[in-house]
Amino acid sequence: MTGKDAVREPLKSEVNRMDNIDDSEALRNRIRKVSLLLIAVVAFGLPLVMRSPTYLHIVILIYFYAYLTTSWNMVGGFAGVLPLGHAVFIGAGAYTSTVLFLQYGISPWIGMLIGGLIATLIGLLIGLPTFKMRGAYFALATIAFAEGVRVMVENIEFLGPFQLNGPRGLQIPPLDIGFANFMFANKEPYYYIILIMLILVIGLTWFISQSKLGYYLNAGGEEPEAAMALGVNVSRAKLIAMAMSSFLTALAGTFYAQFSMFIHPKSIISLDLSFEIAFIALIGGRGSIAGPILGALLLRPVSDFSRIYFGDVFPGLHLVIFGVVLILVMIYQPRGIQEPLTRIYDRIVDRLVEKYRKGVA
Amino acid sequence: MKILEVSNLTMRFGGLTAVDSLNLSIEQGEILALIGPNGAGKSTAFNCIAGVYAPTDGKIEFNGEVINRKKPWDLCKMGLARTFQIVKPFASKSVLYNVMVGAFATTDKKDEAEERALAVLKTLHFEHRKDSRSGNLTIADRKRLEIARALATRPRLLLLDEVMAGLRPSEVDEMVEVIQLLRSTGVTIFVIEHIMRAIMALSDRIVVIQFGKKIAEGTPKEIASNENVIKAYLGDEYGAA
Repeated sequence: MTGKDAVREPLKSEVNRMDNIDDSEALRNRIRKVSLLLIAVVAFGLPLVMRSPTYLHIVILIYFYAYLTTSWNMVGGFAGVLPLGHAVFIGAGAYTSTVLFLQYGISPWIGMLIGGLIATLIGLLIGLPTFKMRGAYFALATIAFAEGVRVMVENIEFLGPFQLNGPRGLQIPPLDIGFANFMFANKEPYYYIILIMLILVIGLTWFISQSKLGYYLNAGGEEPEAAMALGVNVSRAKLIAMAMSSFLTALAGTFYAQFSMFIHPKSIISLDLSFEIAFIALIGGRGSIAGPILGALLLRPVSDFSRIYFGDVFPGLHLVIFGVVLILVMIYQPRGIQEPLTRIYDRIVDRLVEKYRKGVA
Repeated sequence: MKILEVSNLTMRFGGLTAVDSLNLSIEQGEILALIGPNGAGKSTAFNCIAGVYAPTDGKIEFNGEVINRKKPWDLCKMGLARTFQIVKPFASKSVLYNVMVGAFATTDKKDEAEERALAVLKTLHFEHRKDSRSGNLTIADRKRLEIARALATRPRLLLLDEVMAGLRPSEVDEMVEVIQLLRSTGVTIFVIEHIMRAIMALSDRIVVIQFGKKIAEGTPKEIASNENVIKAYLGDEYGAA
């Protein structure tokens, strides 16, 4: 081998290696696309196979909670704080659209947006004074605010011209069924609406995580002082996240009102609901995109089946189970179940890529 | 041209005066060192300049603009960046992610931020670590990361708070090289440091403070033979010798 070759040979193999990296990267992307497509096909095709309204109801609630938790995740996950009063936004959305529909005949679709805006205002109102607090104090402040609102709504019959009915809540009579009134005779339309909402909110979260705002939220959540020194206005980033999160959460409130046709303070502004969102996020994996979805997939069935089978002998069993699962997850997988699952997924993809390469060679 | 001018800077915490009518200024392109015994008020002075504390009294001018009440993030966008004595990496994120947060100070686009961050990492010979989780870095690399992040914000004045503390001698030499490199790119540098070898090699001028007050100022040579400085560091008996 001449001296020139001695230089050239390693270079060549280096170039080959780079080509291979590009190849397997493309392959990985293709695998990711195919699996996403598969999930989409399953998700959109499910109602064609699953005819039981009970099961469909359970799946709708899984999506509903996945949606709520993903919205929560913008603040609770990326911004590194722990809001425990998100039910107040669900309540704002549900009450706004329902009152507007019942008293003024305004389509819930429009009421949904108005509810979102009102929730945004509430979110900013909570966020402005509380984002300076750290850790548990912020969590406590949000609990206090949400509980305060619940107690108020429970004791208010009329808020100005708006009829809230206090603890009795509001019932939507199922009279004018149709898309314009956000009211359907069977579960399938609800299924598709919440599925599309979920897909959109996941897309938005992904987009944010890839943007300046996402970087700023993460940085401010982890090391606020360092982030500030690097040009991050941490409280402003958190407020923006809070505004988006409360807006999106309120949309789900309207969905829930139209889906169940009956809302009352205990059902939609309750602490249980706020906690359940946080539970799902913590167990699934805060601050990750897959976490809220995996958390909802795991915990919602537990919750529903424990209610179905143990509802009369042991009410509240699901919360006990959540607690145990949460403790176990926090001890063994502090970053939530998304972490081991992502690892497993990566390993499977690695093996597929390897096999493909061997097949080619 | 003076890039930073501090006049009569005073910072009190209750009854404690941490910085007492401090005057100093930095010329464009200079390396100025602030030294002093532990608890002399160096970091407090830094924190006042960087906008963490609003000074009790005095005036801080950056590029001819009074910046006393400005917030850290606004100062950063004006071109004043800093590192922290106790490093604060975004531990769960990669090195590249950390540096990109800095780069976002002057751009809104992710691609551009990534490009700039990579360029900074390259300048600091830190590229090979770009995908490492920053929480897993050695202390020397964490200090380097602090500098990289600050540099990514495109500062005109860089405040370095003890970037060499805890480093091995060979690492100190590397860091001195890095700082000299930075100066050659036109960044003015203000350092707090304890490692005298590095200070002597680096700085154009040195300001010495004790109990919040300036006790000496001059070139490294002048400072090394200044009686007040020797007293401050070694005690009164040595001053006479």
